[in-house]
Amino acid sequence: MPEPIHQVTFQPDNITVDVYRHGENLLRVAMAAGVHINASCGGNGTCGKCKIIIDKGKVESEHSEKLSDEQWQQGYRLACRTQVIDDLTITIPPESRIDNSALKRKTGGQRHILKARDLNTLVQGLSINPAVFKCYLELPPPTADDNMSDLGRLMREIKKSYKYDRISTDFHLLQRLSQVLRQADWKVTVTLVYNPKGFKLIDLEPGDTSKDNYSIIIDVGTTTVKGQLLNLEECRIAHSNTTDTDSENLCAEDARYNSQVGFGEDVISRIVHSQKKGGLEALQQAVVADINEIIAHLLESAGIRNDQISHLVLAGNTTMTQLLLGIDPKYIREDPYVPTANFFPPVRALEIGINLPDYIHIYTFPLVSSYVGGDIVAGVLGSGIFQRDELTLFIDVGTNGEIVLGNCDWLVCTSCSAGPAFEGGGVKNGMRASQGAIEQVRINPETFEPMVITIGNQKPLGICGSGLIDAAAEFLLTGIIEPNGKFDRTLKTSRVREGDNGWEFVLVSAEQAAEGIGDIVLTEGDIDNLIRTKGAIYAGCRILLESVGLSFNDLDRVIIAGGFGQFINLERAIFIGLLPELSTDKFMFVGNGALLGARLVSFSREMMKDAQRVSDMMTNIELANNMKFMDEYVAALFLPHTDTNAFPGVMKMLEGNN
Amino acid sequence: MAFAAVSEKYSGKMREMEVGAGDKKVLVGGQASMPFCSFDGDLGNKPIIAMEVYDVVDPEWPAAVVDPFKDVINDPVAWAKKNVEDYGAKMICLQLLGTDPNGENRDADYAADLTKKVAEAISVPLMVWGSGNVEKDGEVLAKICETCAGMNLLIGPAVEENYKKIAATALGYGHCVVSQSPIDVNMAKQMNILIGNLGLPLEKIIMEPSTGALGYGVEYTYSVMERISLAALSQNDEKMQCPMINDMGKECWKSREVKLTDVEEPAFGPDMEKRGVLWEAMTAIDMLLSGSNLLIMRNPHAVKLTEEIIDELM
Repeated sequence: MPEPIHQVTFQPDNITVDVYRHGENLLRVAMAAGVHINASCGGNGTCGKCKIIIDKGKVESEHSEKLSDEQWQQGYRLACRTQVIDDLTITIPPESRIDNSALKRKTGGQRHILKARDLNTLVQGLSINPAVFKCYLELPPPTADDNMSDLGRLMREIKKSYKYDRISTDFHLLQRLSQVLRQADWKVTVTLVYNPKGFKLIDLEPGDTSKDNYSIIIDVGTTTVKGQLLNLEECRIAHSNTTDTDSENLCAEDARYNSQVGFGEDVISRIVHSQKKGGLEALQQAVVADINEIIAHLLESAGIRNDQISHLVLAGNTTMTQLLLGIDPKYIREDPYVPTANFFPPVRALEIGINLPDYIHIYTFPLVSSYVGGDIVAGVLGSGIFQRDELTLFIDVGTNGEIVLGNCDWLVCTSCSAGPAFEGGGVKNGMRASQGAIEQVRINPETFEPMVITIGNQKPLGICGSGLIDAAAEFLLTGIIEPNGKFDRTLKTSRVREGDNGWEFVLVSAEQAAEGIGDIVLTEGDIDNLIRTKGAIYAGCRILLESVGLSFNDLDRVIIAGGFGQFINLERAIFIGLLPELSTDKFMFVGNGALLGARLVSFSREMMKDAQRVSDMMTNIELANNMKFMDEYVAALFLPHTDTNAFPGVMKMLEGNN
Repeated sequence: MAFAAVSEKYSGKMREMEVGAGDKKVLVGGQASMPFCSFDGDLGNKPIIAMEVYDVVDPEWPAAVVDPFKDVINDPVAWAKKNVEDYGAKMICLQLLGTDPNGENRDADYAADLTKKVAEAISVPLMVWGSGNVEKDGEVLAKICETCAGMNLLIGPAVEENYKKIAATALGYGHCVVSQSPIDVNMAKQMNILIGNLGLPLEKIIMEPSTGALGYGVEYTYSVMERISLAALSQNDEKMQCPMINDMGKECWKSREVKLTDVEEPAFGPDMEKRGVLWEAMTAIDMLLSGSNLLIMRNPHAVKLTEEIIDELM
């Protein structure tokens, strides 16, 4: 743990919290300390509800028009517009806080927030040697005595300088080889690709471009497509003892919704659409267009040309992979659910319409079964489960919830249809975890006044997965909803009301939300979708464990991946029954598992071999014809769960509140 | 060596529920074994049959369930008395079909007044059943709870959409509640948790798991009830240890098989009364075999036949 830099004490609760970053936002510090300050604009400074008084210490703060000059003189500031640069004592005035007598629940919920882990903490013995790499060469020009062919000359030099042997050559390269060598005065950079059969020469550039070695990795999700641009030359994972590894190796990141959503929300409806005339082509073109947009955006924001890219890695579920590659997914959906292949040979990116130079081949993650795809293999790879003795449960929460159980000796996996709620799908004001998404929610149990914080402290646009988990847990804790997810219609608050889509809770009013958004609400339908999502995942975990004769208590570790947001609040996730009630130190959050694995494969060719090994190791257990699953699922459609004995801690907290 | 019968040991026991007040009180449930398996454990109280009385009778009813009540069919109080005095009913179930907004839409005051009259006229406990319209039931049953305070009636059905109103007033005025759920073990449990959360003791709850008549899903009801019994007894799941009830009379007597004449279906034979009675009694036995403690039935002969079988078995 890094050393704390400042300390902030909140009065009148007398709660002191350590601050690890100079200039940390005061509202976030309060949230982390479990101190309630009213805030309804997401931390954007426009609602003026988070007034606090600085008793002691210096801050940086802007003089909001929400504060009168007199208040400013008295030390009033807006918490969301205030940065901590000193040890502080803060008083929260009555209008900004909860009546203390009402706040008996000291949940300390923030102590177990899981942030996405750095990749080197998960995988052991990672050696940095990208599968696609560049070598700068200076060749002796041919002479009468040394009149070897151009290609032979190139190969001789590669062998001499870099000890690489038995290299095959991409045919298209030969068509320009002689010209490039001579124009470059025999000083060239070659791009080589490693594959298990040997090396392949894919590109030749004049001069020394060996520093320009970039890779693009794409997670092709059912709901969200996400891409990252990696600098392969400078990936210095060995130096990652600084706090933020990602920003060092990562040039840029971009995400957008998969345009295939227009053809259906889940993989089944996409497969159905692919069977219509021209359907497969339409679906392929839709996602290729998304990928092209992402690539264009990545290149633009990093200031890189597309010929500086040398590698493209894709991870997706089985259906997404087949649709992208234009392979008919029909049989994925028909009993006994068989995919076309478990390993797709490299294909030219250009061939499927991706705007990258013709020498770039797509590496696609190997997959396990029709419903456990390459994204999960990538996640298992990235989280290092396959290297450890500890019994680990890996849960990837996407539109499909995929679950893997095992250790270095064995792996079993399954998939359950979870729905896109955590990515914002099927939720009225749902959105992806991007700027302006509500990611943290607290609710005053007396007045039902919410405290919301958005990603980037922007005006709220909607709510993302982690905000949804928070909100549902707070609703349950404060009695706004019943354990069946229905609003208590007798509550004395105008925030619970009957809207166009049934009963709803107004989280942020239209005045506080971003322009044109209107009131940001959570409806009973949204809560239902969340309950179905969490129910499917929990039930899937239980069935998978049961299928190998184990239970949650046997687990050493639980790794969570998925696009909830920047983090997941463990206590809240347990509180709504998404995760089992286990000791909190067993949990780990890795963020996007598919991209994590794709990064490793980009950086290390050994990892490519391991990816193959992982996919071979995993035994798939099909839930589609498992009678017990439906039963477990219905049992989990309750908050936290019908089996209250499985959540003793949650039940205790709920009882304490009643 | 002598033969030793294997016997199941159960860790749990069904709760015993008291319905009715004073000398009208009866006990329901309380078994510590699967139905009629006296060699495994205590069978608890004998299953009870509540005989139906309607405020409004559907003109579609077959003769077999009209004829026995011909003289009283338009007078629920007299009908209830006849069921007790002539047919030996141990409990009466007043079905308030007339309150249905899609039917006669009689109001809550009417229903409460009628309930009180019936309750006072009979020497056995009373159960009151709403029309099935969730909103109206909430209103009607809450009013009845208030009017009949202290009588310890059995009020139902409380479903997910209206349980709060019904259970809260039942709690306030000292009545028992039927918790009805859509034919699923877990949903039955969830209803008990929800109603329990309102403060109504589990001793005051009886479960109606949704009943299908013979030929109309009886096997679904059977397996759900059997699983509830096993969860309660084997796993000692306290949220599942409420006794069970089946609202089955109306299911049986609307089935195609009891309504068809031998002209329409010669294979069924001409004795429609016997056919209907057996249909209802057969459904009743199925329910009892899967763990039911309380049955709502219509035809006096079917009731008698079922009670004879119960007496033989325990």
